[in-house]
Amino acid sequence: MSSGVAVNSECLDTFQELKLGKKLKYIIYAVSKDKTEIVVVKTSKSADYDEFIADLPEDDCRWAVYDFEFEKEGGGKRNKICFYSWAPDDAKIKAKMLFASSKDALRRALVGIAAEIQGTDYSEVAYESVLDKVSRGN
Amino acid sequence: MVQYGGDEVSALVIDIGASTLRAGYAGDDAPKAIIPTTYGFIPQSTGADVTMADAGPEGETEPPKAESTLYIGQHGPSVWRADMQIGNPVVDGMINDFKPIPSLITHALRDVMRCNPEEHPVLLTEPAWNSVANRERMAEIMFEEFNVPAFYIANTGVLNAFAAGKGSALVIDIGNSTASVTPVVDGFVLRKGLVYSALPQLVQAHAKHTLVMPSHNHPQIQLLPHQLISNKTPVEPGQAPRFTIREDRLARTSPSLMTYYESREVDEWGQSVAGVLDQGWNDQAAAARHARHYEFPTGFNTLFGPERYQVGELFFTHSRELAASNPHLPRTIPTLISQALAACDPDMRQVLMGNVVLSGGGSLFAGLAERLNNELSRNFPHVKIHAPGNPVERRYGGWLGGSILASLGTFHQLWISKEEWNEHGKAIVGQRCK
Repeated sequence: MSSGVAVNSECLDTFQELKLGKKLKYIIYAVSKDKTEIVVVKTSKSADYDEFIADLPEDDCRWAVYDFEFEKEGGGKRNKICFYSWAPDDAKIKAKMLFASSKDALRRALVGIAAEIQGTDYSEVAYESVLDKVSRGN
Repeated sequence: MVQYGGDEVSALVIDIGASTLRAGYAGDDAPKAIIPTTYGFIPQSTGADVTMADAGPEGETEPPKAESTLYIGQHGPSVWRADMQIGNPVVDGMINDFKPIPSLITHALRDVMRCNPEEHPVLLTEPAWNSVANRERMAEIMFEEFNVPAFYIANTGVLNAFAAGKGSALVIDIGNSTASVTPVVDGFVLRKGLVYSALPQLVQAHAKHTLVMPSHNHPQIQLLPHQLISNKTPVEPGQAPRFTIREDRLARTSPSLMTYYESREVDEWGQSVAGVLDQGWNDQAAAARHARHYEFPTGFNTLFGPERYQVGELFFTHSRELAASNPHLPRTIPTLISQALAACDPDMRQVLMGNVVLSGGGSLFAGLAERLNNELSRNFPHVKIHAPGNPVERRYGGWLGGSILASLGTFHQLWISKEEWNEHGKAIVGQRCK
């Protein structure tokens, strides 16, 4: 079941830039005002994780792609691209429904995501919880 | 034919549950029409007057014949009629008898909402365990009998998860007759993890038993509805009630109607008095809680103490005696959850437990959300329960999700249109509504 909301081609281009260009740190996506397509709201090169978190509003939904960099124990630096679905409890039910039912279209368009984070409050997207998630596995 | 252009589709959303049928306009935040799914009918007798003896044993009703009038809605089963019997098309959350369905939907749409279904696309909800034949039958009814321009059928589990803003969630839906646990992963139901049981019915049966059986602090309570009582005088708490029964009516009340009235009285008592202790069963804790006062239609009134918590305890644990006496007890909520999780990928379990969505009218049982949180927190490191505080959102979560989905302009492309139905037939339902 999906909402039928389309993915703007810019979403993909920006993602490729982040994945291959290695310059962008994160991308924030949202549904456009007329609720017909998913668009890029912001891109950033800032490596400050707090700045990224500040771009997730308290009362509205967003998606984000973050190039997560971490030190693997005894194994040097690793990069993992994480996909975030942000749906805080204080968001309107209409926004939650719209975002949840549209997510699949965006998620499928982005190839090369290593981890997915579903967040409803800031503790779930905090650096430590994401680190815990990405450093598991390999 | 409706043109699917802008955001104005004015679609209708219909959610059929065991106790009520909810219908309303997509985009609204509450259903416009809420009518009981239970209906009344008077069996067509062959000459002689139908007496009580003819009505069959309690709980068993013969399905209504096509020609008998159905009594539906607010003035349906709750209005007393001589020899009226009671039917309900929903068994285990699934529609079992399609005959009364068109009448029920007609009543909700035409009589209550005063709208013409031929002018509106209709989105229907279904339980996750609905059968293919069932959903195709539903599509057939909507297209062939109601002539709707477009149709879609969506899963309540997914709608509930989406309405909470989650693509992956463990949806716990406690209704009037069925409690279910549905793992939803990336917007799809994980079928092997789907479990449900008739737990609410057990809770109701226990509540009825508690009231009807004489105990140390109350005598046997008569669960007579106000429809069968002509007058009463107030009495002191715990005293025998003083009321006059309507003998004329009592003689012609069918057993199924009586059962329905009794269950309504039990429900009402349960909703106002019963609860569940938040930290697990404990005699002292139960005794320490305030007793609650409740008055029945007969005028009998008394205070209910610890027994009101025993009722809710059944959602979580079955006493050893009860389990021994009946090996086929409906599974408790913790059992359902662990069975649902056992069928899921270990990696997935943590995600699901962090995204528990509580829904359904039965989940409004006093203290249930807190207790569930405590039970789960004991066994899982990170538990988060999403339980909307607004009772409308909780009770009609599935309807509300459908309402938002059907109101989206972009959703138009997913509707099954009348033309497509005519061209492809039943097969399109399974292809389109996944």
